[in-house]
Amino acid sequence: MKEYTELPSRIAAQVRPAVVILVFLTLVTGICYPLLITAIAQVAFPVQANGDLLIHNGKVAGSALIGQPFSSPKYFWGRPSATTPGPYNAGHSSGSNLGPSNIALTDAVKARVAILHLADPSNKLPVPVDLVTASGSGLDPHISPAAAYYQVSRVARERGMTEVAVHALVDSHVEPRQFGFLGEPRVNVLELNLALDDISGAGGTAVAPGAADPHASETPWLRLPDWVLLALFIGFFVVTVVPLGRFMVRVIGGEPHLLSFVFDPVEQRVLAWSQVRAGEEMDWKTFALAMIVFSLSGIAFLVLLQLAQPLLPLNPAGAGSPPLDLALNTAVSFVTNTNWQAYAGETGMSYLTQMAGLTVQNFASAATGLAVLAGLAYGFSRRSGSTIGNFWALLLRSTFLLIPFCIILSLLLVSQGTVQTLAGPVTVPLLDPYRATDGTPVTTQTIPLGPAASQIAIKQLGVNGGGFFNANSAHPFENPTPFSNYLEMVAILFIPAALCYSFGRMIGAGRKGVSLLIAMTIIFLPLLGLAIAAETGGNPAFAPSGIDQTPSELQPGGNMEGKEVRFGIVGSTLFSVVTTAASCGAVNGMHDSFMPIGGFVQLFMMQLGEVVYGGIGSGLYGMIVFAIIAMFIAGLMVGRTPEYLGKKIEPDEMTIATIIILIPIILILVMTALAVLTDAGRAAVFNPGPHGFSEILYAFTSASQNNGSAFAGLSANTPFWTLATAFCMFVGRFLPAVLVLALAGSLVQKKIVPGSEGTLSDHRPLFILWLVFVVVIVGALSFLPALALGPIVEHLMLTGGV
Amino acid sequence: MPGAGKPSGQGTFDAGLYQRGIADAFRKLDPRQMARNPVMFVVELGSALTTLLWLQALTGHGEAPAGFIGAIAAWLWFTVLFANFAEALAEGRGKAQAESLKKMRQDTVAKKLATGFTIIKGREPAAASFSEVSSSSLRKGDLFYVKAGDTIPADGEVVEGVASVNESAITGESAPVIRESGGDRSAVTGGTVILSDWLIIRASANAGEGFLDHMIGLVEGAKRQKTPNEIALNILLIGLTMVFLVVCATLWAFSVYSVGAAGSGVPVTITVLVALLVCLAPTTIGGLLSAIGIAGMDRLIRRNVITTSGRAIEAAGDVDVLLLDKTGTITLGNRQAVDFIPVDGTTIDELAETAQLASLADETPEGRSIVVLAKEKYGLRGRTVGSTGSGPAMQFVPFTSQTRMSGVDYDTTQIRKGAADVMYTYITAVGNTASDDLKREVDTISRAGGTPLVVARNGRALGVIHLKDIVKGGMKERFSQLRRMGIKTIMITGDNRLTAATIAAEAGVDDFLAEATPESKLALIREYQTGGRMVAMTGDGTNDAPALAQADVAVAMNTGTQPAREAANMIDLDSNPTKLIEIVEIGKQLLMTRGALTTFSIANDLAKYFVIIPAAFVSTYPALAAINILGLHNAILSAVIFNALIIVFLIPIALHGVAYRPMSAEDALRNNILLYGAGGVIAPFIGIKIIDILLVLLGVG
Repeated sequence: MKEYTELPSRIAAQVRPAVVILVFLTLVTGICYPLLITAIAQVAFPVQANGDLLIHNGKVAGSALIGQPFSSPKYFWGRPSATTPGPYNAGHSSGSNLGPSNIALTDAVKARVAILHLADPSNKLPVPVDLVTASGSGLDPHISPAAAYYQVSRVARERGMTEVAVHALVDSHVEPRQFGFLGEPRVNVLELNLALDDISGAGGTAVAPGAADPHASETPWLRLPDWVLLALFIGFFVVTVVPLGRFMVRVIGGEPHLLSFVFDPVEQRVLAWSQVRAGEEMDWKTFALAMIVFSLSGIAFLVLLQLAQPLLPLNPAGAGSPPLDLALNTAVSFVTNTNWQAYAGETGMSYLTQMAGLTVQNFASAATGLAVLAGLAYGFSRRSGSTIGNFWALLLRSTFLLIPFCIILSLLLVSQGTVQTLAGPVTVPLLDPYRATDGTPVTTQTIPLGPAASQIAIKQLGVNGGGFFNANSAHPFENPTPFSNYLEMVAILFIPAALCYSFGRMIGAGRKGVSLLIAMTIIFLPLLGLAIAAETGGNPAFAPSGIDQTPSELQPGGNMEGKEVRFGIVGSTLFSVVTTAASCGAVNGMHDSFMPIGGFVQLFMMQLGEVVYGGIGSGLYGMIVFAIIAMFIAGLMVGRTPEYLGKKIEPDEMTIATIIILIPIILILVMTALAVLTDAGRAAVFNPGPHGFSEILYAFTSASQNNGSAFAGLSANTPFWTLATAFCMFVGRFLPAVLVLALAGSLVQKKIVPGSEGTLSDHRPLFILWLVFVVVIVGALSFLPALALGPIVEHLMLTGGV
Repeated sequence: MPGAGKPSGQGTFDAGLYQRGIADAFRKLDPRQMARNPVMFVVELGSALTTLLWLQALTGHGEAPAGFIGAIAAWLWFTVLFANFAEALAEGRGKAQAESLKKMRQDTVAKKLATGFTIIKGREPAAASFSEVSSSSLRKGDLFYVKAGDTIPADGEVVEGVASVNESAITGESAPVIRESGGDRSAVTGGTVILSDWLIIRASANAGEGFLDHMIGLVEGAKRQKTPNEIALNILLIGLTMVFLVVCATLWAFSVYSVGAAGSGVPVTITVLVALLVCLAPTTIGGLLSAIGIAGMDRLIRRNVITTSGRAIEAAGDVDVLLLDKTGTITLGNRQAVDFIPVDGTTIDELAETAQLASLADETPEGRSIVVLAKEKYGLRGRTVGSTGSGPAMQFVPFTSQTRMSGVDYDTTQIRKGAADVMYTYITAVGNTASDDLKREVDTISRAGGTPLVVARNGRALGVIHLKDIVKGGMKERFSQLRRMGIKTIMITGDNRLTAATIAAEAGVDDFLAEATPESKLALIREYQTGGRMVAMTGDGTNDAPALAQADVAVAMNTGTQPAREAANMIDLDSNPTKLIEIVEIGKQLLMTRGALTTFSIANDLAKYFVIIPAAFVSTYPALAAINILGLHNAILSAVIFNALIIVFLIPIALHGVAYRPMSAEDALRNNILLYGAGGVIAPFIGIKIIDILLVLLGVG
């Protein structure tokens, strides 16, 4: 009883540090950091930071990164765009979200092929797939060279030019892969059309014909640059894991490091303001209370900030107050590191909310995960103790750790074209104005801007995933080039991967942490391969439409619906698998439109418990919980009370570990069942058949596992959905986190059992494989029936033609 | 297995055991009993539910054909019964043993001595000093008297007297044992019978709480408490069951949605969901878990080891340090003479003869070994005491703690043998000096770990007898096995470091504690425990009691003193010090059996999904037929039947334990994963297909 009567005073003791630190973090990461990046960006990269505006004949003609709609036959046409109300509406980026088995998708593609044939009846070539499938952002500025060459005959005829001349112009506008190996060769449609107008105006001077062959050698499955991308991706971690891992150990442990001279005095000052005694340790209950109090303060602050945004500065687009349920959903979403977005960033959020609200929680939620992991590490490394570190100190250090990397990444992204400005949207003229369905002419395009790069850096590095714009990393202003795409992908796993090594070192054996990293990778690679195979294979439903889906040197091919040309299939699929493997949730293609098996991989990655890399801290502590269960069964099999990392696994640990594993499984399945049985739940479904079921399953999987990505066709902005997902996000984040702290509290009291021949190795290949088996089988046994009624049956129907 | 006790194996089952097992299986259906095993309780609830659905179907309003529901319900009941049968079978063996023990526990008459009775050494109490009371009224601390022919009424410690006692009821050993006051043979057990002489005993336990009562409780399973590992495993199994409960319950909702989305088929029936639940729930391990625990205890009892808690068996599996007494465990009980080394020009024959003479009356094993060595090596016939009738009369001087020498006097000849330091004093006392030659030989033997005995005639040293500890055969192999299992062996001895080191090297133990005292033993155990090690030891003496109490696994010899037996958590009725090694193996085997069957049970589920999912949803999504890779006709029924029968197939493994060989943890894990993990994935595919074929042949489906 004593504990309960003490509870209010124990909570009260954490309120002051929570408020002080929240205010401090808001100032540092929400105001200073974005302003610093904006200042540097405006000086160093003025063109890129402000939207890469094209100046043509002295006038702004559009953005080099934002596509424009073209419907006149005399222009090259871009990718179909699914934005509303009209195509290429830069104010509301989005994909079609049509599922691969949706008849509406097949019909739309057929209609687009028919229009192409109508405009150029003599052209009997198969249509490159990217020309008839909608991009993920709806703003894709590019088409593949194949798609451009396909249109040469029509444009030449319409303009009275020779095909050779037009062909040559296309040749000169083919952008090669970045640095020769990254991304896809592509053609910027707006720039090509501007050049076309220039030549036509000048009388059509022929340029020497190029030698490009529209049907260059076709290669099966993966092309060399695809392999290069995969190798560069994995190579990045081979290089960074150890040095970054070491650095993090020093920062988290408060040992001297490169940046101590800044971090240490600030930490001491802030802790002093918070009235937290330096070096004061917490038992697990106090630690958990501090975490909860801090997170609830964050939610409250974020809700208020959103509601008040119309009254506050830095709101150039004039965003209003969101409804309370949406505000709560967004607040919970960012505080839980989920970053599920039921709102559209372009219109729903002011710059101030994005900076001082969302960006701050991007830092704080990641740092919270890291602090919990550090507590668990102390639980393992300490012998017969009772405390697991100080939450506030760990939270501050973890935040500091993220800042320098965010500064570097933001500036790299700005250099590629990610916008970073406080200026409001710009309006540009359309080169080829069109009439909207209601007959009104549309002659301009309004391009949103904002301090995006600073938020995207932490969105990726903090494994958050909440985009500045609606289309997230598919949006050309968030992820402008193949190189930015590479950076954003490696940024997601940058800290989770190295953290494995850090954890190993914190418990005294780096290799034990690396063994967890290897286990994660063993799960990651085959699923990645499966997804890539599914996506490069294209959509069999398109087969009768005369569409060319084969990857070649001139086109990415494959399932291009919802994907951007500059990333191609592998660059998009890798991103999707990374973002679901880690609990990031950023997307650079529309997951709803991935092939069933691509979607299966995304779902399964999350359903495994977000332990394959996972969120910062949370992924690793989840994996450690699995390792405890794997070690328990393995220990029984060798006839000894199991011990993991030197600590005996006893009923208390098993109870906690089992509940941690159970929570997301029960949340996902029960909430999905609730949604499919209620009208409010079913109303949100966009795609028919099993794919619609997948949308609901995906939403609760993503929310409960704090991923945040979505099968975005789902209309999640209704009270049922905002509240149901907010519930999942909150419970799915904090219940396991508190239990992990309880686990740490139980472990820390134990002696450390020294290893012997009879001890089962917790890091050698056999245990790694066993751990992989346990993780996969728990995931499979929990979700196979649901997956069978979603992506698996959809795949069978699509391939079997049933 | 050396030292294995009574015969084990299937042979111990008889028809009666099976019959009783079957009856018990039904008796255990009582939900109050079933609720203690949550996994099987869920199965029982599922069985009841499907039975109700079957009854509903019989009225013509069923969700599926009554035949199908009935068959599923029947096999679900079988699943529960099979699990109950396994448990009943395991308990049955213990019960049979308990029956015979109970016969000994009958109320007897105790001759209780009046309070304030004074014990006079060697004096039998007069009839007036005790009153006859019922044995059940004896309390701890009471003094009572027993004489030849009496059954000892309660556990206790002999405070006066020497007697021979028949303990066959407990040990199975028919030869009587001596019980006497003081020393290491003072403990007696209630229910044993005194054969000769008389004893005064102080009761060490209240009536009904004695050793025998405890043993009966244990073998009956009444006192069986769940061990920590069992609790932890149970939690995991409950967790898994909850997952599958949620999976199956939500699957109904998913199915309803899918029917709406596809516009065809009907939602999955409750019968199918219950069948799926039971197939997925870890029934194999859940059903056999308690049988495994009971069988583990039983295996120990059949090796004549009684434990006071199941926890101790598990702890035995975790042991990583074994403390073994040198004497009796590692070496044969006694030192033996292996060599005679003459000094100062004495001939070897002269020395041998003198040594033999000095030892003729020495009935200690060492003394006898000297006579034997002289006879075998030097052909000297052992002259017995009476055979020297023609010669001078011999006067034997026995070993006393004052002189610390022994020997013989005849005529004017005085022969003595004894430890080197004592003999040096003796030699110097008669005016001689211990020669350098002698000292050198004594040192050589000491350095080699032997015990030198100096032999002198008339105050002059003739030479040295080399006494040596003899390591038991096969110990070295045993210890290297233990080392592979990750268990460190430590020899405990009162010898000096030098001697200890030599024996340790010869026996192949990892370490030794020389000049051991009760304090140093205790300190050693604490040191290892602080380092996180689990320590096991055996002991019998009262001075072992503190160390036994401290050790995680403490095995007392049944011949040991009462304090030692009370401090221990296991008692070896055979009093065989190497039994500890077997106990460790049994402990490991128990855990391994649980681990193996858990893995098998979980691995089984993969196949069941492949079988049941297409069958349950093919009406909604015909495309799912592609997953029915086995081409089954009665998929769901076959899976349920397989699930029930596999319990029966695994009962022998549950009762006898998985095969155990000493090997490294890594090797053991690899073997078990391949056998029970990979086997668990594959077995159901084959089993279910076979059952399906049989069902088709029988005309079902």
